[in-house]
Amino acid sequence: MRVVSQKISAWIARLGWVWVDGQIAQISRRPGASTVFLTLRDPSADLSLTVTTSRDVLDLGAPEVAEGARVVLHAKPDFYPARGTLSLRADEIRQVGLGELLARLEKLKKLLGAEGLFDPARKRRPPFLPRRVGLITGRASAAERDVLTNARRRWPAVEFRVVNVAVQGPTAVPDILSALTVLAADESIDVIVIARGGGSVEDLLPFSDEALMRAVFACRTPVVSAIGHETDAPLLDYVADIRASTPTDAAKRIVPDLGDELRVIAHARQRLDRAVLGLLDREQHRLDAIRSRPVLERPEASLDQRSAEVTALRDRADRCLHHQLGAAAGDLRHTLARLRTLSPAATLDRGYAIVQRVDGTVVRVASDVDKGDEVRVRVARGELSATVTDTVEGGPR
Amino acid sequence: MTDEKLSYEQARAELATVVERLEAGETSLEESLALWERGEKLADVCQRWLDGARERLDAARQARATTD
Repeated sequence: MRVVSQKISAWIARLGWVWVDGQIAQISRRPGASTVFLTLRDPSADLSLTVTTSRDVLDLGAPEVAEGARVVLHAKPDFYPARGTLSLRADEIRQVGLGELLARLEKLKKLLGAEGLFDPARKRRPPFLPRRVGLITGRASAAERDVLTNARRRWPAVEFRVVNVAVQGPTAVPDILSALTVLAADESIDVIVIARGGGSVEDLLPFSDEALMRAVFACRTPVVSAIGHETDAPLLDYVADIRASTPTDAAKRIVPDLGDELRVIAHARQRLDRAVLGLLDREQHRLDAIRSRPVLERPEASLDQRSAEVTALRDRADRCLHHQLGAAAGDLRHTLARLRTLSPAATLDRGYAIVQRVDGTVVRVASDVDKGDEVRVRVARGELSATVTDTVEGGPR
Repeated sequence: MTDEKLSYEQARAELATVVERLEAGETSLEESLALWERGEKLADVCQRWLDGARERLDAARQARATTD
């Protein structure tokens, strides 16, 4: 046992002095004791080491150091044989001041910017209406309440999957990283919000952590940064796909306002109605105008006109025929008069008679008949039958 | 194409042509009568389209009113 312990101790004793940068997770100052124990951890990984130092060293370099503070210390690995524990023995400790922190943040910002982590072209747009929203925030925090309340007020049906994490202190970064991994793997989540209320620059340090920045950049789901107040600008604001000034603002960015959307739809419907009704009215007017044209509304007008034409023609025909009939009647009368003029009746009236043979031939010369022939003698009224008893040739002419 | 399948615009355009020909008055009586009958039919087709559109519009608005 002793040999093993001595060998380990000798081997560790050969390790040299190093400068270490870390975050104080725990500090124990026992009253009266000259040795102070610190638990130093990596800001973003789950790694820690015990540091031993003297009260004098601590008071000289970092008199007001507290848990969560960033420190740089000069130390040598040290094996404590009585307990078999490994620790770092520090002979110089310096608390990293605010100015130095900000300078480091600025340097990291330049580095990440140069690598393209802030490139607007690489930003993803969350959907207009996400199926589910992932929320990474402190348990029962004002930030959590602000995001949930305001998002639900805007869109009552919004669904959240909330992962509560430490939002400051040594476990904040590992917590947030694992929450991000869980939510990014959830297919039903369309956007992830990382929210935290305002705080000091040190409090907000986890939201500028390099490992977290790279994880957010690599995340396929769009990430909304909602850290602190308007004036706070952790690096997460630059890497995230959307920067919300506050948790309340984040609620506005992730879901649309139901009332606004309903108003837009109602307005669109009104315009739709007006457009269609206007069109129908216009077309009705056009159709009415066509139907009221005389040729369609009073088709009988065309018949009336044709009928009038027929009547006129018939009248003309009538008149024409009447005229012709009149003329014919006149002719007839005239002819009759002439006929009467030529009639022998007037001569007969004067006592003359016409003698005809049986065959109707008028007897003009005595020799036209022979003795014993039957003749007819026509007088003015009636006629006689006679027998020729004698004929005498001669006479006037 | 049967009259039932005519679109509103087709029916209206043909109706306008029919009216113009009737108004020109250069057609025979038999043609005029046929044209007039055609015009009435086309006017009915147009009116049916407009009435149908109004009915659909009213039905949609009524449905909306009951769901709102």
